[in-house]
Amino acid sequence: MGETRLAWRNVWRSPRRTALTVAATVFAVFLVVVFVAMTRGVHEKMIEDSVRLSSGHVLVTAPGYLQKRTLDEFLVLDDAAVHTLDTLPEVVGWAPRVVSFVLLSRDVTSRGVAVMGVDPARESTVTTLSTRVVDGHFIRGGSPHEIVIGERLAERLGASVGDQLLLYGVAYTLETAYDLYTVVGLLRLPDARLERSMAIVSLADLQEFLVFGDRISEIAVLAESSERTGALRDALRRGLAMLDSRPVFHTWREVMPDLEQLIVLDDLGFYVMVAILITVVGFGILNTILMAVLERQRELGVMLAVGLRPAAVFRIVFLESLMLAAVGLVFGLVLAVPTALWFEAHPIHVGGTMAATFEFVGMEPVIVFRLTSSTLWKSSLLILAVAAVAALYPALKASRANPVDALRTI
Amino acid sequence: MLLRFAWRNLWRNPRRTAIVVVAVSVGIAGSLLSMGVNYGMVDQMVVTAIRTELGHIQVHAAGWEDEPTLQKTLPGGAATVVAALERDPRVRAWTRRVRGDGLVNSPRASAGVRVIGVEGEREGDVSLLREALVAGNWLGAAPRRALLGESLAERLQVELGDKIAVSVQDASGDLTGGGFRVGGLFHTPSSELDRSTLLLGLGEAQVLFALGDAVSEVVVVVHDPDEVEALRTSLAKELGPQVEVRSWAQLEPLLVYMVQSFDMMAWYLYAAVFTAMAFGIANVLLMAVHERTREIGMLRAIGMSRRRVVAMVVLESMWVTGVGLAVGMAVALGATWLLRDGIDLSAFAQGLAAYGVPPRLSPVLRARDFGMPLVIAGVAAGLASLWPALHAARERPAEALRHV
Repeated sequence: MGETRLAWRNVWRSPRRTALTVAATVFAVFLVVVFVAMTRGVHEKMIEDSVRLSSGHVLVTAPGYLQKRTLDEFLVLDDAAVHTLDTLPEVVGWAPRVVSFVLLSRDVTSRGVAVMGVDPARESTVTTLSTRVVDGHFIRGGSPHEIVIGERLAERLGASVGDQLLLYGVAYTLETAYDLYTVVGLLRLPDARLERSMAIVSLADLQEFLVFGDRISEIAVLAESSERTGALRDALRRGLAMLDSRPVFHTWREVMPDLEQLIVLDDLGFYVMVAILITVVGFGILNTILMAVLERQRELGVMLAVGLRPAAVFRIVFLESLMLAAVGLVFGLVLAVPTALWFEAHPIHVGGTMAATFEFVGMEPVIVFRLTSSTLWKSSLLILAVAAVAALYPALKASRANPVDALRTI
Repeated sequence: MLLRFAWRNLWRNPRRTAIVVVAVSVGIAGSLLSMGVNYGMVDQMVVTAIRTELGHIQVHAAGWEDEPTLQKTLPGGAATVVAALERDPRVRAWTRRVRGDGLVNSPRASAGVRVIGVEGEREGDVSLLREALVAGNWLGAAPRRALLGESLAERLQVELGDKIAVSVQDASGDLTGGGFRVGGLFHTPSSELDRSTLLLGLGEAQVLFALGDAVSEVVVVVHDPDEVEALRTSLAKELGPQVEVRSWAQLEPLLVYMVQSFDMMAWYLYAAVFTAMAFGIANVLLMAVHERTREIGMLRAIGMSRRRVVAMVVLESMWVTGVGLAVGMAVALGATWLLRDGIDLSAFAQGLAAYGVPPRLSPVLRARDFGMPLVIAGVAAGLASLWPALHAARERPAEALRHV
């Protein structure tokens, strides 16, 4: 107990020096917490956006579909399965789809695209596609032969709302299939690449076009949040186990491995920056504590001579370092938390060339922040750990001092 | 004189100074290396784009950039363009291509693809597509061969020698097609390219799309990348308004934006790291000044001006930062040299391939990349020394001399 008080008083013996070191710590803590909140927010948004534009959190398919993506890998849903999907609590929404590659052409221009047949009502429980229509409207259940395409795709084809497009492809029965569809809406997506190749028709239309019967290619399922993906997958596995088609359940990570890798890579880069920052601050703490110890050589000598155990001296110096860091940590958090929370409520809208780089990677040009308690206690642990490591050398030096030599110091 | 004085002052307490120098070095080396990896990544993206499809300059029929349709072609094998290129010594190589879209069918699957007709020999001089061949043969000898990206072939479940059918809409709007055999498979650093591209011989592509002897584009690579813009302007002037001449930066401005955004990131990184460092430097200077109160008092008493005292302290800060910078930069350069064969990032291969970055990445540091950290470090060191310097200068000599 006395050690703690001693350590605390020692810290404040040179207020100016301590203040500078604390300031460095405050600065580092502030930066780390705010930037972790930013990175976390941005990554979560990337996942959310991707997931809510394409595969959902879990994609249910026949075995081999992800690699081959042909009509041979199909699922058939019976009433029991539909009921299960509708009632499972983990399922926030589910959307059955048929996907196939066709040639889309208008007059003399054509593009190969992946056309997706969707059930409009169910689709909007999983994806935000129906809300991204900029001209016209989304597919409506009742009307036949409607097609919605990406704005950029429309530009390439020279098509606009009301035009007719020819769909040309290969049916499930291996016959050639072709039919005319009317453009009823144009989509604008944050992912330019996706927008350039997106064509959506109704599920029933595409099943008829491909002579697919009531088969489907995939089911996109939405969980409450990306953290609940695993739980959703398990629930689906149990619930749909008896389905004939022996479905496989892929998480978004398996469907979009490049997204996950990019996030991890980004995180890595960020951790490196944090490591550098913390190391620099750590050296600052080391220097401060070391100087403090060297200045007090005589005093330490007296204490040791009078009977204080070296282990106690070690502890006192060690504690000084931790306290220094703790003060910096507290003030740093006091500044950082409100700042991060404010940004959480007011995301930054990016413009100009920055916005273009965002769109290049398929993100909306907005920087979102998200502060979680795990960020806070991980940063705290990190700072305290650095302070502990920085204290080792000075504390050892202090405890190993020879009282006789120390007493002779001026 | 003052310089030497400042230097000697620093080393009066070698351990303390050494720790600060190490801190500065670590900060610099770490930041430089981080940025080196980032710049390496962007470099790769640019190089991949240029070497796979963009080339340095592309020539198209006027209006192609806004409306890249099959019908916008350069007639007569782009003879006038070729002639102009042959005359210019800045041009290293050129090739012609036909570009269209279509559907490719195999017995098991189908996929939407871009169909590119290339000139066998010339394409090899311009792009890395030929080197990217992992199986089979390049185009040339055998007729009716198609080259597919490895991932495209996987999707279609075809192998070398298998038959595929390509359906397209030709230049007059008719739906037509042709049968080909898979003659070769390629694997480039860009997963996008591998997944969606089919290569045919130029002549066969022209027949398929009913283009006669017209081509869609002429791609040019130069000897010296710095001459791209100059060449572009002179070609544009020479060839007139019926064609568009564009540089890679104009065709893919995003690549340029990425470089700019990394520069901005570098700013923030250096500013943050050096600010943290500045606190440490200020601390050490303050301690040093405090220890020398008597000495400074004496110096002032015998006539050293306030300004020289300030200068002396500032110089100490500059020395410490300078030494740290030198060591840090040397470490960064050394590490860059050691890592010149690349860092193995194969765990992230797919993510990187989406942006055309190969899984072995070498950090890249050029002279211009050192400018920014130098300036920011200098400013940080200067600011760090302000308080200690002013503190030292403000002491009254009489009181300072009496200091214990």
